[in-house]
Amino acid sequence: MNEEQSEATFQTLDPEAWVDQYGDYLYRYAIARIHEPAVAEDLVQETLLAALQGKEGFKGRSSEKTWLTGILKYKIVDYIRKKSREQPTDNIELAADAMHEHFDEKGGWKVGPAKWTVNPKELLEQKEFWRVFYSCLSKLSERLAKAFALRELDGLSSQEIREILNISATNSYVMLYRARMRMRDCLEVNWLGQRKVRKQNAVL
Amino acid sequence: MLSCEEVTQLVSESLDRELSLRQRVSTKMHLMMCRLCSRYNKQLAGLREAFRLHAMREEDIDIYPASLSSEARQRIKQALHHTSREPH
Repeated sequence: MNEEQSEATFQTLDPEAWVDQYGDYLYRYAIARIHEPAVAEDLVQETLLAALQGKEGFKGRSSEKTWLTGILKYKIVDYIRKKSREQPTDNIELAADAMHEHFDEKGGWKVGPAKWTVNPKELLEQKEFWRVFYSCLSKLSERLAKAFALRELDGLSSQEIREILNISATNSYVMLYRARMRMRDCLEVNWLGQRKVRKQNAVL
Repeated sequence: MLSCEEVTQLVSESLDRELSLRQRVSTKMHLMMCRLCSRYNKQLAGLREAFRLHAMREEDIDIYPASLSSEARQRIKQALHHTSREPH
């Protein structure tokens, strides 16, 4: 498709059709990062309204979906930033949330990581893995989930995350450490666990 | 000598900032000798790459088990309808 064509398609598109075409996608994108359905719905609405008002800005260089995702990304970060200004980080929450389930008093492993190899390209094609991944992400506390998603999914720098979440450098490292620890654990138990059961069933 | 807990922290931090030379060396030494921390280190690196690759594929988010409620769908359509009729 050349640029003229895509622009023409876009101009004649019924904005309400966006809701049917991209509504679920945008909603999933938002809810994966912000675990409140009402907020995610509002962000989808704001995104589509902003898109409608700024549709002249769409040049057809990227797909419509990518363009809408870009607007939504901005809205999500903006929402998190505002919310973090209203409710600054609670250090007590972090302190109470230590890693005693993993390490003994001397800092040795209580139960170490199980033996499994992470092959990123292979995992990418395993739909079940990502279902488990999103379920694990939804089990993280709201604050850890936000830090984790901004860093590991959206690839923002830790500097940007500090600014958005209104936290110190140390806090950002601690939060990301805990989030990664929990995600690794959860994936190991639920993904590796499931796979073992499937293998056993296959043998039977 | 660093403990396993400290090493796992440093391994995670190395994904977010550049460690000091001293930290890099002592982490590396620990990883060479410790099977469990070495596993943790490799798994964390692999998972990071998998997460990034996944996030770059737009269609993959459709795995997320949620969808826009029909009420929200209706509400958003109405809002769009109102705005598109207003003269700019």
